[in-house]
Amino acid sequence: MIKKLNFVFFILAAVFSAQAQNKQIEFKEFDLDNGIHVILHQDNTTPIVVVSVMYHVGSKNENPERTGFAHFFEHLLFEGSENIKRGEFDKYITNAGGVNNANTSNDRTYYYEVLPSNQLKLGLWLESERLLHANIDQVGVETQREVVKEEKRQRVDNQPYGSILSEIAKRAYTVHPYRWTTIGSLDHLNAASLDEFMDFYETFYVPENATVSIAGDINMDEARELVEQYFGDIPKGKNEIPRPDIVEPEQKEEVRDTIYDNIQLPAVIQAYHMPEQGSEDSYALEMLSTVLSGGQSARMYKSLVDEQQKALQVVAIPFSSEDPGLYLLFGLPTIGGNLKDLEESMDAEVNKLKDELITETEFQKVRNQVENDFISGNSTMTGIAESLANYHVYFGDANLINNEIDRYMAVTREDIQRVAKKYLTKDNRVVLYYLPKSQQNN
Amino acid sequence: MKSIVKLYLSVLFALVSTLAFAQVDRTKAPEPTAAPEINIAKPYSFTLKNGLKVYVVENHKLPRVAFSLSLDRDPILEKDKAGYVSMAGQLLTKGTKNRTKAELDAEIDFIGANINASSTGLYATSLTKHKDKLMELMTDILFNPAFPEDELEKLKKQTLSGLAASKDDPNSIASDVRGTLVYGKDHPYGEFTTEESVENITLADAKKYYETYFKPNIAYLAIVGDITPKEAEKLIKKNFGKWEKGNIPTAEYAMPKAPEKTYVALVDREASVQSVINVTYPVDLKVGSDDVIKARVLNQILGGGFSSRLMQNLREDKAFTYGARSSLSSDKLVGSFTASASVRNEVTDSAVYEFMSELKKITTEGVTQQELDAAKASIAGSFARSLESPQTVASFAINTAIYNLPADYYTNYLKRLEAVTLEDVKAMAQKYILPGNANILVVGKGEDVAQGLKQFGEVKYFDRKGNEYDPKDNMEIPEGVTAQTVMQNYFAALGGKEKLMTVNNMKMVYEASVQGQTINLSFVKNNTGSMQEVSMMGMVITKSVFDGENVKVVQQGQEIPVPDDKKLDLAIDAKVFPELHYDELSIGYELKSIDDLNGKSAYAVKVTMPSGSTSTDYFDLESGLKIKSLTTQKTPAGEMTVTQEFKAYEEFDGVKVPSKLSINQGMPIDATLKSAEVNTDLADDVFLIK
Repeated sequence: MIKKLNFVFFILAAVFSAQAQNKQIEFKEFDLDNGIHVILHQDNTTPIVVVSVMYHVGSKNENPERTGFAHFFEHLLFEGSENIKRGEFDKYITNAGGVNNANTSNDRTYYYEVLPSNQLKLGLWLESERLLHANIDQVGVETQREVVKEEKRQRVDNQPYGSILSEIAKRAYTVHPYRWTTIGSLDHLNAASLDEFMDFYETFYVPENATVSIAGDINMDEARELVEQYFGDIPKGKNEIPRPDIVEPEQKEEVRDTIYDNIQLPAVIQAYHMPEQGSEDSYALEMLSTVLSGGQSARMYKSLVDEQQKALQVVAIPFSSEDPGLYLLFGLPTIGGNLKDLEESMDAEVNKLKDELITETEFQKVRNQVENDFISGNSTMTGIAESLANYHVYFGDANLINNEIDRYMAVTREDIQRVAKKYLTKDNRVVLYYLPKSQQNN
Repeated sequence: MKSIVKLYLSVLFALVSTLAFAQVDRTKAPEPTAAPEINIAKPYSFTLKNGLKVYVVENHKLPRVAFSLSLDRDPILEKDKAGYVSMAGQLLTKGTKNRTKAELDAEIDFIGANINASSTGLYATSLTKHKDKLMELMTDILFNPAFPEDELEKLKKQTLSGLAASKDDPNSIASDVRGTLVYGKDHPYGEFTTEESVENITLADAKKYYETYFKPNIAYLAIVGDITPKEAEKLIKKNFGKWEKGNIPTAEYAMPKAPEKTYVALVDREASVQSVINVTYPVDLKVGSDDVIKARVLNQILGGGFSSRLMQNLREDKAFTYGARSSLSSDKLVGSFTASASVRNEVTDSAVYEFMSELKKITTEGVTQQELDAAKASIAGSFARSLESPQTVASFAINTAIYNLPADYYTNYLKRLEAVTLEDVKAMAQKYILPGNANILVVGKGEDVAQGLKQFGEVKYFDRKGNEYDPKDNMEIPEGVTAQTVMQNYFAALGGKEKLMTVNNMKMVYEASVQGQTINLSFVKNNTGSMQEVSMMGMVITKSVFDGENVKVVQQGQEIPVPDDKKLDLAIDAKVFPELHYDELSIGYELKSIDDLNGKSAYAVKVTMPSGSTSTDYFDLESGLKIKSLTTQKTPAGEMTVTQEFKAYEEFDGVKVPSKLSINQGMPIDATLKSAEVNTDLADDVFLIK
């Protein structure tokens, strides 16, 4: 009976994924002569347009003595340009009824504006000014240094558990640039000279390192023409773009430590080394995280939060990145709960995955959840513009926006068991106990 | 002739545009092209025989579909059962007659779907291919909720721990008291859930609510996404056709009024280092009325965003606060205006001054053209962006029906926004900004802020529940009462000083339930040594032992060193009744005031320990017993206040002991006394440091 049911599932799954593939995100892409890659997605339903530029530079491209540069640029490049006065960049956008933002990761930096669609040119002008001749001077550097300090205070120092990533990273990596986080070091920023900032700008903010992604209420031909006008004559860079090829050696034994932070509740964090994004095993690990913590019926949630009430929250988060990243398990015990006890229960759930294949039904549930999340990710123009750019920058294949799901669907139950055994091992992890500062040794 | 001109013009245009293409003028921002037309699709709608109104917004971009059901009923006054309506809604997804909660969770996750329920609706979404299953689960929840008793108990517990956590939270206090000030306690918007009201809620209340209001004749169903109107109609007729209509009760409420004269409503919160300020009053602004769009422009300029006047003044210019904003809301019954910020104690009056002067300024001077243009652009942009979600389009259609809006209300929204003039904004300010008729609610430390607030009007005191009290009644300490007499009364109330002096040791065990876990708190003292232990399921979580000389604190298996200044307090802490020894150990204590503790008058005695840490102990005027203690501690993370409350004293061997204990150290814990032993045989090693 069970066998038959499985068979039905497989047939249904096949039919479904064929159906799902009918809904394609259509786009056009081309290169300008100076090397800028352009991706256009037209959707005239709503009169808005997202204009974005992704630069293939993140914290991993930084000089280890000058960490925080990539993220610092995300701030500095709002200081204006030859034609945009200091403080005016944001004003142009708000006065046009738009919103904008930017973000930096280990691997890339991303800038975008969401504008009424009759302001497409404004977006192109602002972004091309940023690339062509941004204003980098002492006043701007000093202003933004203060802002970044404030940001670090808010997001890292005063944010409960805000230091997790940096504390994990410096223990998990010994040589790879992922050992520092994007916010980097304020001392490095203080020590850097204006020439160093100029040099970073001239090296990384060049056409051949930029991907322009536009989504929304546009006309393809007209948009193409406008992109060429605003970006076409920006000269190519003169420096070679450094791309680190450092390979982090395999971790041979477990690393454990205790961190005291401004928190009320203690927490346990386990971080396992995982393979680089796009590899088969990374898809299997992502599905494994859904098995553990995707929804109220997921294993860790149901057992540790609902039934045993040992934890207020347990989540599995794969931090996939261009080079091998980290797979995080985070547990928050119930008040008065014991970290060691909770950690053992989390380990028990992981061990179960190694010992037994997950059931067909559970496997199908996870496939359905992953598919739902994948498709729902493309519900806004902002999401589409960023995904298209990400897929191009990371994989050179923007069409993964439509078919990356096939890679998830190719994962088998055996794969999930295999990656649990291969990566979720004691020797391959860093474990941190977070405790309230009030318990710190004076 | 005409055609020649046309030809000429088009040649000219072609020329101009080629020129433009060749060379971009980078020196100034490009002009926008013609404003795009905003097309708001008209949803396909139909009504079932039972009155259910359905709106379908077709959008095939993604293979997803969402069903969102909302009920339109009059607001309900819940009185002494405040909170039951919301619980009735939450119970819907906690099990049906066909599925337990676990089964329901598993089936929802299996299709990767989301289903949420509230007291006024249900929202369900999944990929299109699972829509039949989604519909099955949604209708099972909607038509067959089981209302399991144990789930109600769980919900009540969660609500109570939520209330405990928010009881002393200044923002929650402000929100609750604001409601009573603006709307009054006999208005549905003015009541709030309390510990007492939660206790009063029964399963029958939740069921009755469900049976009365979950009816098709007041329901609106929006279907959005990858579905054709035809499919939708078939699906809905099949699944909702048999839903039976009912008679829905209606309710009317008196219109709340703004105060005759501006005054200050102070909620005195001793532990505050920041004041929460709300300048607030009701306004008669109905959804869809002519004023709504103009009023939105006004509020945008006054306190609507980062570039608003309040933000620029109080944050950017004066650095009083991280954020200051205002809201001017429209509503079916009654809207409200609120301007708010959290500021440091010492700038509380200056901040209120800036609030009031901004309110006055905008009513007398109006706004500038530049502000008006920026506000319009910002509102238009956010309107356009909101249309990206097909859900917005559905909600427009439903709002149009519920609030009886003109058919073109949303399609002409931007036109009407564009038409707003400087005069309109000024007229709105004069109509809705009422600096002379405001409740200035301040939740903060009265001792520090009350005096400075008098300049804005009479300062009235309100308790946590929004009841006014006269601090003068309590403030005056009667002749002859001193800190010493308060202590003597306390000793008498506990069992008499003579008796207390004979107590050599005492052991108390309390039990508390924290997030479903039982924890035990034990305290042992013998006037020389002391031991405190917190354990759970037989495991020791924290333990501190003082043997008269040395101290050891172990927390989750790790030893925590005790700072030297803390050690100074250990000798006094080891006393069974520390107050008996204040004079002998030169502990400073003074009677500060008589305070109102939620309706109970209590003497506030400030105690200064050898380490310099201070606490305020409250002694009930009536019983003489200690009912509350506030201790301020310096920690590496800044100052922290620990609140302890002592309730329901019971007698053990002639000594009164609190049988209920509430401790709040950022996380509230309620404990119940399990045992108390006076002059008992203590094990030899109880104070032994291992």
